[in-house]
Amino acid sequence: MSRLPQDLEARLTAAAPAGIEFSADTDQYGVTVAWLGLASAADLSPVANLLKELGARLSMITCTQPSAPEEEEEDEDEENEDDEAKAEAAPKETPKTFGGTPLDGTSYEIDYHFDIAGDALTIIAYVPQGGSIASLTPLFRNADWHEREMMELYAVKVTDHPDPRRLFLDASIDDAVLERLIPFSTLVNAASTKGLWERLTAAGKKGAA
Amino acid sequence: MSTHNVPETFSIPVGPLHVALEEPMYFKIDVQGETVSHIDINAGHAHRGIEYLTTKRTMYQNVVLTERICSLCSNSHPQTFAMAAEKIAGIEVPERGIYLRTVADEMKRVTSHLFNVALLVHLVGYETYFMHMMQVREIGQDMLESIFGNRQDIGAMCIGGVRYDLDDKSIAYIKGALDKIEAETKDIIKTFKTNGSILRRTKGVGVLTHADAITCGVVGPVARASGVDYDVRREAPYAAYDRLPLIVHSLTDGDVWSRAMVRLEEILTSIDLLRVCLRDLPGGPVNINDRPDIPPGQAVTRSEAPRGEVIYYLRTNDTPQPERVKWRVPTFMNWDSLRFMLQDAKVADIAMIVNSIDPCLSCTER
Repeated sequence: MSRLPQDLEARLTAAAPAGIEFSADTDQYGVTVAWLGLASAADLSPVANLLKELGARLSMITCTQPSAPEEEEEDEDEENEDDEAKAEAAPKETPKTFGGTPLDGTSYEIDYHFDIAGDALTIIAYVPQGGSIASLTPLFRNADWHEREMMELYAVKVTDHPDPRRLFLDASIDDAVLERLIPFSTLVNAASTKGLWERLTAAGKKGAA
Repeated sequence: MSTHNVPETFSIPVGPLHVALEEPMYFKIDVQGETVSHIDINAGHAHRGIEYLTTKRTMYQNVVLTERICSLCSNSHPQTFAMAAEKIAGIEVPERGIYLRTVADEMKRVTSHLFNVALLVHLVGYETYFMHMMQVREIGQDMLESIFGNRQDIGAMCIGGVRYDLDDKSIAYIKGALDKIEAETKDIIKTFKTNGSILRRTKGVGVLTHADAITCGVVGPVARASGVDYDVRREAPYAAYDRLPLIVHSLTDGDVWSRAMVRLEEILTSIDLLRVCLRDLPGGPVNINDRPDIPPGQAVTRSEAPRGEVIYYLRTNDTPQPERVKWRVPTFMNWDSLRFMLQDAKVADIAMIVNSIDPCLSCTER
């Protein structure tokens, strides 16, 4: 008794010529949660257009860098059954998503979570390191902050964003903070007690001289 | 500012620290005379990097961490996070746990809404009534403290159920407290419908039209006051909401008064839901009494926090730590609507309009 349109999968297939991976399940409350993997990130805009027509509300955007699947292990067996088949065909190569984006730990997975009359639909787009994705802000005004946050946390490029300023982080901070290891001492800037001690003794010597 | 002859354009900063704001947000407001012509919102003053931190903690530690994202929706975060973990692991929460989750949720909603509407009365300038409303809220805060041992972070949730239980004595106590809050809230609603000071300051002020509400994708009482009849508790039920007589209140004017009125009506509904929950409370365990490993997987879960829809995305792997946790709080969606509400508003109404979205900054910036 899903509230998603009956022909949703067919319409999504038509909107995304490069191919889709669609799954949905309904819980005991009758709420459907659907997942839509896109083979090509270029299909995001036509699919988003279709959802806009259906009256969907953009709820959240998640960006993440999925870690490379471990060797000899079946990874994420629930939602990525293709991985196994691919791994059998080419065991030594970098595993890829069904659309061909390498899953080496540097690619981005961008999830667009939509609400359609109470049911949830998540569009999954993969972008390789250095790649870019079209902005949804012209279509869904509320994508604005999500995309700005995504741009400061990761090195992913969002094209045609109307206002690509920093959201939370100061302009003086390098971007892609979630892709770098930032030592706690650097983070808090008061530095370690040793650094502080050295700075103080140096300042003291200068004062005495 | 002086506007003797010709109206001039000024740019005034409101925030990041400002007497009329509870939390640090920076508004750059261009005014023409006394009228707002343009606003710019600059965030980032309370950014704490909790999203990163969640990937360094175990799933069970994260129940504690997510509760600390926000104080007023402190119950909604661990609940929605736990729901995601339960979905991935296929954990079924016992019936009594499901009802007790709803009880904790609705208690927090009552006190959160009372707090926001009390602050509105304070910003209207009706200080004695503000004191009175905070006193009413205090009945609710006492209730939280007595049942959970804490006024804000009540620590009620765990993966697989809840961490507290009620007995006949505590149920009788809660019922007594609810009776008091209900009578007072009915009085407050009467005051809101008749008091000249409140009506003059809040009616027709900070209007968000239905069309703008849809465009901005606002959620919670802000959406419902603009005629967007959406409540996660009804649209995508969780906990015990599918079997409770939930009434979703919505109004059409989209002004400050409507947002306050939706919250006040919701308090009465929450009290009704609490009474039904306490009456129908099933027996049995309150949680699964186990800490199973959460297998690899991903889930999206939603709940209705006092301010609106909270959504969690959780991805787990073979380690005890989650691979990615992402959440979006209602206020994150609602800030943008201020651009519409504040357009052509009077300078004196800015603080009141900002308060009317019930903003929560620690949630927004995490």
